[in-house]
Amino acid sequence: MKKILIANRGEIAVRIIRACREMDIAPVAVYSECDRTALHVRSADEAYPIGPSEPRDSYLRIERIVDAALKAGADAVHPGYGFLAENDAFAAAVRDAGLIFIGPSPEAIETMGSKTAARAAAKRAGVPVVPGTEDPIAPDVADAKIARIASSIGYPVLVKAVAGGGGKGMRTVTDPRELSNAVRAARSEAGAAFGDAAIYLERQLTRPRHIEVQLLGDAHGTVLPFVERECSIQRRHQKVVEETPSTAVSPALRQAMTSAAAAVASAVGYTNAGTIEFLLDQDGRFYFLEMNTRLQVEHPITEMVTGVDLVQWQIRIARGERLTLDPAALVTPRGHSIECRVYAEDPDNHFLPSPGRIVALRTPGGPGIRDDSGAAAGLDVPIFYDPMISKLVAWAEDRPRAIARMRRALGEYRVAGIKTTVPFFVWLLAQAEFVDGRFHTTYLDEVLQARNGRPFVEPSPEAEDIAVIAAAIHTVLSPPSTGPQNGASCAAGQWKSHARAEGLRSW
Amino acid sequence: MQHELEVAGRTREVTVTRTGDGFAVTVDGHTWQVDAARIDGQTLSLLVDNVWRKSYDIIATPDPATKYLTVYVGATPVIVARNGRRRGRKESGASGAGPQRVFAPMPGKVVRILVKTGEAVRARQPLVVVEAMKMENELRAGRDGTITDIHAREGASVDAGALLIIIQ
Repeated sequence: MKKILIANRGEIAVRIIRACREMDIAPVAVYSECDRTALHVRSADEAYPIGPSEPRDSYLRIERIVDAALKAGADAVHPGYGFLAENDAFAAAVRDAGLIFIGPSPEAIETMGSKTAARAAAKRAGVPVVPGTEDPIAPDVADAKIARIASSIGYPVLVKAVAGGGGKGMRTVTDPRELSNAVRAARSEAGAAFGDAAIYLERQLTRPRHIEVQLLGDAHGTVLPFVERECSIQRRHQKVVEETPSTAVSPALRQAMTSAAAAVASAVGYTNAGTIEFLLDQDGRFYFLEMNTRLQVEHPITEMVTGVDLVQWQIRIARGERLTLDPAALVTPRGHSIECRVYAEDPDNHFLPSPGRIVALRTPGGPGIRDDSGAAAGLDVPIFYDPMISKLVAWAEDRPRAIARMRRALGEYRVAGIKTTVPFFVWLLAQAEFVDGRFHTTYLDEVLQARNGRPFVEPSPEAEDIAVIAAAIHTVLSPPSTGPQNGASCAAGQWKSHARAEGLRSW
Repeated sequence: MQHELEVAGRTREVTVTRTGDGFAVTVDGHTWQVDAARIDGQTLSLLVDNVWRKSYDIIATPDPATKYLTVYVGATPVIVARNGRRRGRKESGASGAGPQRVFAPMPGKVVRILVKTGEAVRARQPLVVVEAMKMENELRAGRDGTITDIHAREGASVDAGALLIIIQ
C-alpha cells in the first residue's frame, strides 16, 4: 500500500494523514468548494476537488470520490467517521473499483449499520439488548400505529434513526402527546443526515451509563477488545466528554463486557476497527445498544492508555496483516485519559453553532496533552459540516491528575473570532458529580436545564479591569494598516474610526 | 486622553498616558503602570504593576456580529463596548415590554415554522426550526405573547441576524 485517499475532512482527515506519513504512505485529500484552504488539503500530498460545499454534493458523492481515488492511483480509501464511513454502498463501490476499503466488509456494515439488524445479531450472540422494536418503522407508518408500539414498549421511549449515529435523528419522548412531533423531527433529521428516514423505538433506561468497547478484527479470524470507554457525558445524545477507563466498571465487569463485545463482532465475521456500545444500568447490568462499524471520534483516549495506534492498525489490517497485539495488555489500561470535544458553539447562547473565521488560535501542549484539530487561524468554520473543531485529549497517571491536566490545558486554549465550548468544559470539570464520577447519560442535560442559561463565562472583577486596560492600550498601539483581513474588518474599521475621531492614536 | 469603555453594563473612565517604558493607565481613579508588548495584530502581552508585576496574555478582536471588542484575558473573553454602547443579551425581549423579534442566530435553513400569525404562544414554546451544521435547532419564544409577523419561509436559507418572527 503506497497511497491512500482519505474520503473525509477536518480533524479526522488530518489524523489519518499523520498515520499515513508515519507508515511512509502518501496521503491524498479530497475537498469541497469551501474546503479549498482547509488544513487537510494543505497537509496532504495531493488533493482533488469533489464538488460544492453541501455534503450531498461532495463528501457524500460516492462516484466522485472513487473517481478521485482512481485518478490519484491510490491503493486504498480510508473513510474516517461520518459522511460515507458507514455506507455499505460506498465500501462496495471502492471494492468494485479494485481498491481496498480501510474498514469492515460492505456486508458487515450493512448488517451492523441497521440498528434493528444489529440488535438481532447481538441477541444471537447471547448478549442482552435494550427492549424495543424488532423491525424498522417505515416512513409511511401512521402516527396512531407508532403510538400503539410506543405504549407497548413503555415510556419514556427513545425515537431513533435506523441508520443513525452521533445522536442525529434521535429524540426522547416522556409524554405520549409529544410522540408525533418527535417522530417527525427524527425522520426529517435522519433523512437529511443519512438519506434514510426509517426509525425505531427503544425503551429509555433510567439513568444508564454509556459504556463502549473498541475492537480490532483481522482477516484471519482474530477479534481483540480494548478497555472500555465511558461516554455518559452527553448533550442532546451527543457525546461531549469521554474517558477511559470508566469509574463504573470493575475488572470483573470489564471482563464480561469486553467478552460480550468480542462475541458480537465475531458472530458477524467483523474485520477492522469497530465499537460496540452498551448501556449500563444502575444495577450493573449491561445491554447492547449498537455497533459503530468505523473508527470513533473518541479513539485517541484508547490510544493514550494502551499505546496502540488504532489508525495504523486499521491500515495494517486492511493490507492483510495479523493482529500481533497482546490481548491482556489491551484490557489493562495504563493511567487515565479524558477527551473534550471542542465545538464552534456558543455555550452561553443555548450551544447554538458559532461558525465564522478563526482570527487567532493557540492550542495547548506540554506533558500528556494531545490536540487533534482540523482548525487553523485564518480559516473559516463552515456552516455545512459538524461544528467540532478539535479534540483535546489529556493523559495522566490517574483520573484526578488527568482532570487537573485537562483543566490546565483548557486554560491554555486560545480561540478568537468564534465562540467555543471551552468555557463550558472549564465549568463541567469543576462539578462535583464529574469529579466523583457520579453521572449518567442524562446528567448533563439535567444540570444544564437547572442552570437555566446562566452564563459559563463570568469574568472576575480583575479580568474586567485588565480587559479595560488592554482595550485602551490596544487602541493606542493599533497601527492603521493591521487588523483582521476578513468579514470582521468592517467592525474593526468602526472601532478604529472612533479611536481616530477621539484622537486616541498618538502617531 | 480620557475615554469611556463599558464592561458588563458598567461604564469605566479610562485614561492612557505614555510613560518612559510603557503606559500609565487610570481606570476610575486607580492608576496602573503597564508594560505592553504587541505580539501581532491582535495579541498583546501586558505586565501590570500593582502589588505584584502580573503577566496577562491578551487577544483583542472586534466581533463582527456585535461590533464590540472581545478581549480575551487569558482564556476568558470579556466584551468591551465604547461610549455607552450597551451590550444586550442575545435573547432580545426575553423580559420587558415591546415586541419581541426572533432572529436567526446563525446562517442556516428554515426547516419548519411551528406557529401561525395570530397564534398565542407561551414563553419557551418552540417557534421555528433552523438547520445549521447538520443539527436542527429550535428557536423558542422569550415570553408569552401573540405572533404578529412571520418573515421566515420553510425551506429558505437565512443569514445570521435575519428577522424570522415578531411576537407582540
